[in-house]
Amino acid sequence: MTVSLTIENLSAHYGSTQVLKDLSISVAAGELVSLLGSSGCGKTTTLRIVAGFLEPTSGRVRLGDRDLTTLPAHARDIGLVFQNYALFPHLTVMENVAFGLKQRGIAKPDRAKRAGSMLDRVGLSHLADRLPSALSGGQKQRVALARALVIEPPLLMFDEPLSNLDAKLRVDMRVEIRQLQKANGTTSLYVTHDQEEAFSISDRVAIMNAGRIMQLDTPEVLYRKPANAFVASFVGFENLVPMKVVSRDGATVTAEAAGGAKLSFSQDVFGPIKDDFVLATRADGLVARQSGEGIPATLGTRTYLGRAYQYKCVTVAGEITANGALSEPFDPGTSAVLVPVAEQCCILDPEA
Amino acid sequence: MTTRIHPLLGAFAALVFLFLLAPLVIIVGASLSDTSYLTFPPQGLTLRWFANIFEISAFRNTAITSFQVAILGTALSLLMGIPAAYALNRYRVELPKWLSTLFVLPILVPEIVFGFSLLKSITIGFGMPVYPSLILGHALLVLPYSVRVVGASLAAFDFSVEEAAISLGCPPLKTFMTVVLPNIRAGVIAAFILAFITSINDVSISVFLTGPGISTLPIQILAHMEQFFDPTIASVSVLLMLVTVGVMAIVEATLGLTFLTK
Amino acid sequence: MKRFAKWGLTMPATIAVVVALVIPVLLTIATTFGEPKGAFSTYTAFFNSGFRTNILYRTLRIALITTAISLVIGFLTAYVIARMPGRLKSIAIIAAVFPLLTGVVVRSFAWLIILGKNGIVNDTLMALGIISEPLSMLYTEGSVIVAMVYLFVPLMILTLTGVLEGIPREVVEASTSLGATPIATFFQVILPLAVPGLIVGAVLVFTGSFTSYATPQLLGGEQMMMMGTLLYQRAMVTFDWVGASTIAAIMVVITIAVVTIMSRMARRLNPMAV
Repeated sequence: MTVSLTIENLSAHYGSTQVLKDLSISVAAGELVSLLGSSGCGKTTTLRIVAGFLEPTSGRVRLGDRDLTTLPAHARDIGLVFQNYALFPHLTVMENVAFGLKQRGIAKPDRAKRAGSMLDRVGLSHLADRLPSALSGGQKQRVALARALVIEPPLLMFDEPLSNLDAKLRVDMRVEIRQLQKANGTTSLYVTHDQEEAFSISDRVAIMNAGRIMQLDTPEVLYRKPANAFVASFVGFENLVPMKVVSRDGATVTAEAAGGAKLSFSQDVFGPIKDDFVLATRADGLVARQSGEGIPATLGTRTYLGRAYQYKCVTVAGEITANGALSEPFDPGTSAVLVPVAEQCCILDPEA
Repeated sequence: MTTRIHPLLGAFAALVFLFLLAPLVIIVGASLSDTSYLTFPPQGLTLRWFANIFEISAFRNTAITSFQVAILGTALSLLMGIPAAYALNRYRVELPKWLSTLFVLPILVPEIVFGFSLLKSITIGFGMPVYPSLILGHALLVLPYSVRVVGASLAAFDFSVEEAAISLGCPPLKTFMTVVLPNIRAGVIAAFILAFITSINDVSISVFLTGPGISTLPIQILAHMEQFFDPTIASVSVLLMLVTVGVMAIVEATLGLTFLTK
Repeated sequence: MKRFAKWGLTMPATIAVVVALVIPVLLTIATTFGEPKGAFSTYTAFFNSGFRTNILYRTLRIALITTAISLVIGFLTAYVIARMPGRLKSIAIIAAVFPLLTGVVVRSFAWLIILGKNGIVNDTLMALGIISEPLSMLYTEGSVIVAMVYLFVPLMILTLTGVLEGIPREVVEASTSLGATPIATFFQVILPLAVPGLIVGAVLVFTGSFTSYATPQLLGGEQMMMMGTLLYQRAMVTFDWVGASTIAAIMVVITIAVVTIMSRMARRLNPMAV
């Protein structure tokens, strides 16, 4: 039985600081949505409000048709996976996994059966009688996962579950988590600061900053078409060049950057372009050429990337990182033109 | 943890705090009562029972003795304890484990047994006069504070700072005094306070080590109580409390009460 | 140089402890075995004396009751303190610890004022008309226990607050998220994890109350002697030093036994031991 999670207009304060600003988000039934951002952005605060450990200043949380907002934490029936695993140190692995079932009044033999089969699924049956102190980080995380899954909750929430594991384990575990989640079809909310992690396992990702959602989309859209300068620089658009439209001719728009460089863009490709905008590109979105329609630049340090060269360029519009073909190496100090590659570019509103 | 406490539990805790603090308030009140017997609430307010302390030579003398013993005993215990704590921390791996237990023995052995044995073997058996015996006894009584509390500060100390000083040419003793000691100030002062307060209030050891003209204030209070049950006892108690508060206030002024939240 | 340092620095303290504590106490215990009537004659004399065994059992009883009451009061109070917001928590801890600093005489003497014939309790009860004659509450086991509990509750609160703070917040939250009501979380998660610390606190209070002198001296008097006051009486009033040493030896044995056994149990029961 799978339901949707609706968070409506959530605001929260820590003392006099507002840490969540009118946040709204919907997670469809069976969907895994990640809250992605650096520390302090409000992602953990949101999770703790949904879990019932924090009271919001205003707003509502709905799970299916249940209003959770006023329910005490122990009555919310949500499966939680914690960053530090939070296993009960005094209980065996089996007892840990069966804990939620025990609270629901399920009889011992049933508990043992269900917990046992869940341990099978995560491959830890042979450790059923061990204490958490005897387990490795990855094993502890699997127990935490099993413990949350076995109660068959309508919602699963993950609070940076992999940040205490080493890199290789992180990659393996996130795949496992996604597989288990998809197999069960449980609606899930996943909190992390790791972009690669969020993008690799989520149906959709909400990039957060200062208590607000900056963009909520599929990873593909976020990666290719960030909606604003914050998200753009978050997903790796290093170059942000402010531009002003100087002429329009049908679908073609000619805009000027600081220093006079003129570039043309087609509204057929980019959609409607406003008079003032920011051109966002990754390093491979601008190619250093001898000549062409682009931004004039003086090339600085050259780095060899294997598939291309990368140049730190100085332009009137600011410092830009651009790539260049291996066939056309430039020495430091030479002048060149940085030509935008339409498919790698993004047009954004100027950041407020 | 959620900070929601069941109201009954909260009320219980409030009662416990009342239980803990009320008797002290009662003593203060009783010390001010203008009656010749101990009563609370005080009937009429007067400070004459405080003045009385200084008029009774026994209290005057034992107060001075208590203070001297506390200072000397604490100083002696710090003199022994700080080097020991230093060695235990610095050379932890090379010293036997039982050594650190040895310095905590005064807490494990019942005080009354310690006091009695001290009297038997050292004062009488060995012939050490009462006053030095008292100081020695108190010094040992509070040695665990000197070793453990200072030890805690030393555990947080980065010894590579000491090594840097030595490599720059500073001789070891000078290094200790100018580099290590200032950085473990908090621990030393905390140990001093705990030791001083313990010594000033001690009964179980001091009760054996009294002699002609030598007694400590708490013992004198007990003796006085057997004869006179008047508010002087309360006022002396208040005096003792004030000394405690005074010592802590001095610390607060120099350090802040950060050491309490350990 | 280093060898001198590591041993030399510990020498003064070591010598002082060995010479002034270890040896004297060992000698005290040793003298109990040197009686002409036989090596264990002093102990048989002790245990044959109804008067003295009474005192031993009374001391054990009072110590156990004090420990039990202090445990309950201390744990519940520590539980409340652990959940207090920062500022209030610091004030609460200071308030709980402050009595510890006022000394045993002051804290025991207060109960003379409270429980005496002209004391507050009697005055209040008489004023309320509940009794017509003052109750004799002093010099009873009850008054000693009350004063001892008063003496040791702050210690218990301090110890147990530390224990409760040591339980990771996440573990408690995990329990709640899995559906455990606050009471279920208390009994199934918090209490089991607090047990080792509870044992440590109990040992401290038990040994402290078992070996206590000043409190029974003030509030127990001659009728309500405990091991501590008995030792003093034997030593300084009747000058029966062998008898006093016997009492001392029994106290040492019981104290060390309790501390060792319970500490080991606490360590074994500690699931959070690194």
